Amino acid sequence: MTATVTTGAVSVPGGPAGRTRGRGGFGGGPAGGRRAALPGWLFLSPALLFFLTFVLGPFIAAMALSLFSWDLLTPPEFVGLQNFRALGTDGLLLRALGNTFIFAFASVVTHLVGGLLLALAVNRGINKVLSYFVRTALFFPFLISWAAVALLWKYVLDPTFGIFTYYLAKIGITAPGWFTDPNWALPSIIGIDFWHTIGYTFLIMLAGLQTVPRELSEAALVDGAGRFRALLHVTLPLMTPTLFFASVITFIGAFQIFDPVQIITGGGPNDSTVTAVMYLYQTGFQAFQVGYASTIALVVFAVIMLVTLLQFWGSRRWVHYG
Amino acid sequence: MSIYPHPSDGSRSWPSMDRRTLLRGLGGAALLPAIGGPLTGCSDSGSASGELTFVYFGDADLQKDYDKLFTKFRQDHPDITLKAQGIAAKSWADFANAVSTRLAGGQPLDVVQIATEGQRIFASKGLLEPLDDYIKANQDEVDAYYEDTPPQLKQWLEQYASPDGKTYYLPGGYNTMAMYVDGKIFDKAGLEVPQEWTWDEFAEIGRQIKAKTGAFLTGVGSGYFTDVMPWLLTNGASTFDEEWATATYDSPQAVEALTFVRSLVTDGLAPKPGGTFDAPTAMAQGKLAGFGAGRWGTNDLARLKALDGVQLVKWPKQATDGSPVGWDAWPILKGAKNKDAAWTLIRFLISEEFGDTITTGGGAAVPARTSDATGEAFSENAPEHTELLHDLLEVATPIPSPDRGAECQKAIEEAWLQGVSGTKPPQQALTEANKKLQGYL
Repeated sequence: MTATVTTGAVSVPGGPAGRTRGRGGFGGGPAGGRRAALPGWLFLSPALLFFLTFVLGPFIAAMALSLFSWDLLTPPEFVGLQNFRALGTDGLLLRALGNTFIFAFASVVTHLVGGLLLALAVNRGINKVLSYFVRTALFFPFLISWAAVALLWKYVLDPTFGIFTYYLAKIGITAPGWFTDPNWALPSIIGIDFWHTIGYTFLIMLAGLQTVPRELSEAALVDGAGRFRALLHVTLPLMTPTLFFASVITFIGAFQIFDPVQIITGGGPNDSTVTAVMYLYQTGFQAFQVGYASTIALVVFAVIMLVTLLQFWGSRRWVHYG
Repeated sequence: MSIYPHPSDGSRSWPSMDRRTLLRGLGGAALLPAIGGPLTGCSDSGSASGELTFVYFGDADLQKDYDKLFTKFRQDHPDITLKAQGIAAKSWADFANAVSTRLAGGQPLDVVQIATEGQRIFASKGLLEPLDDYIKANQDEVDAYYEDTPPQLKQWLEQYASPDGKTYYLPGGYNTMAMYVDGKIFDKAGLEVPQEWTWDEFAEIGRQIKAKTGAFLTGVGSGYFTDVMPWLLTNGASTFDEEWATATYDSPQAVEALTFVRSLVTDGLAPKPGGTFDAPTAMAQGKLAGFGAGRWGTNDLARLKALDGVQLVKWPKQATDGSPVGWDAWPILKGAKNKDAAWTLIRFLISEEFGDTITTGGGAAVPARTSDATGEAFSENAPEHTELLHDLLEVATPIPSPDRGAECQKAIEEAWLQGVSGTKPPQQALTEANKKLQGYL
């Protein structure tokens, strides 16, 4: 960010330098340009400071620490690339990454499909009061802290006293150990996450849906397309930027899943719910292998970046910005 | 400070209770009139001054209670600015980790409440100031304290938390594990509460109680201190050997213990693990005949006004009597800027008046001073045979706490949970866990 963009009387950093030339008192020369940029930098400084302190700084620190062995309590020791070599033989890391990919994939699919269906239902001609009620009801769980959500679901799914267990027993089904059975623990977490966060995706979808010109769908209907075909060939293509945005942020969020797993299962049973960020935490702050934990942090960063880039690359084939 | 509750992980039957117990325990202590009494322990140490940071196990709500508790200290030592900070953690091992992280971050800590789980690693990493010279300077005071505390605490600290023969800690309160039993449910089932029982007798009593009252016999969980160790120790097993140098979690006795606990679930004598079952609440509602706990169980039941008819009995045994024990201890951090003031605080913590205060205030552990632990105040508003928590020291085993304590605890609890929930056969669960544990040593 070395230049400024001038919009009217306000000059902000980030634009091509040429656009500031010859504009009255703001761009009379190099000194004037710097003066003109000052307000922009001042406005930017809180976010910039935050970024440097809490994002870029720790990122650089993680890169440096990944070359050290450090237990927090005694001085760090330089070990070169040893931590990176250890990645290749760490079975638990592979397990954690596998669990995280499963969680993230399930999260993206269920949130996109569920959010879209809910948005379509609410966007359609239902009563306005009912529509607002449904929007609020769907979004409300998102406002509850993960700790409260986790506790709530532990009550609901309690294997002896839980309401789910009770009603399943009524129809002759024995409830599994939702959080104690390795086959059920991760699906249970996926389900709880869906309940907690679907409201957010739903709102994004609803907002996207409301940007689709109604006349286009109506024209398709007039042409005899039918509601499903109109949805498939008119509404959905126009929704693709929204779907793309939702898929990117859902994946990024899901890949960093930590809170519910930490609170509900602690990564168990049998490591069936241990996720990448949880493993990072355990390695750094329980095993005190800060150097190796930093290496894992870089792996998580690299995976998220790679998948996001792939999503952007793939979006050229299916996202329509028109 | 006598607080040694054993909050455990989410896999425990009633995880949220322990934290509340801790809060209540100190909250109660804070209300004590005894705080206004004279404090001989630090009456002659007026020379220390400056800022002093004291870190304890607890959340932000506890801060005001601690502040009240230290009112007298501040009055007697106006030149010392005491900053008491609580660290909220899920377990003592997590608390020790959080303290380590703060130290690594450069925070100046002077006195830290450290439980058994963290004592060895803190001493062995060279983080603590030897107390020997300080003790020598106040030898009479410290001797008087040791005369009034169980000798085992000093002995265990020497064994496990003194890698070079130096003294790094003075002991605080402790907790053992006993069985809280509701006599009313036993009466209803036409049974007498036994003072000693074997595992088989325990299960048989459970079957009769279930048949006649519908109540569960006990809760089962996977908390290391609260659920795993009592069953292991009463069968002559443990997670590690006495030196904490070899993992013994897959011994035949340990497998037998886990198999027995699993049978309590399959026989319907205990609720299935993995939920939010709250044992004290279930007992208060007449749905549970017994549960295991240390002193904090008394506070839970008192809060629920459910102490009537409850008594403490020994843990059922298969091979031998046994109980885990864990205790607080007070060190001065090597990096403390104001070590004299830190020592002044520790003298306050071991003073007779402070012990009385914490005892009558409903602390969540057995007070360190025997005169307090066996006094009337400790048994007031408590179950019958409360003195058992103190007496169990005779058969108690320190909770094995190797340096990589948090990882060990996780492996131990997870394997136990798999065993009691039936997702893995006990032998397999413990064999796999034992391999992990050995790798952590």
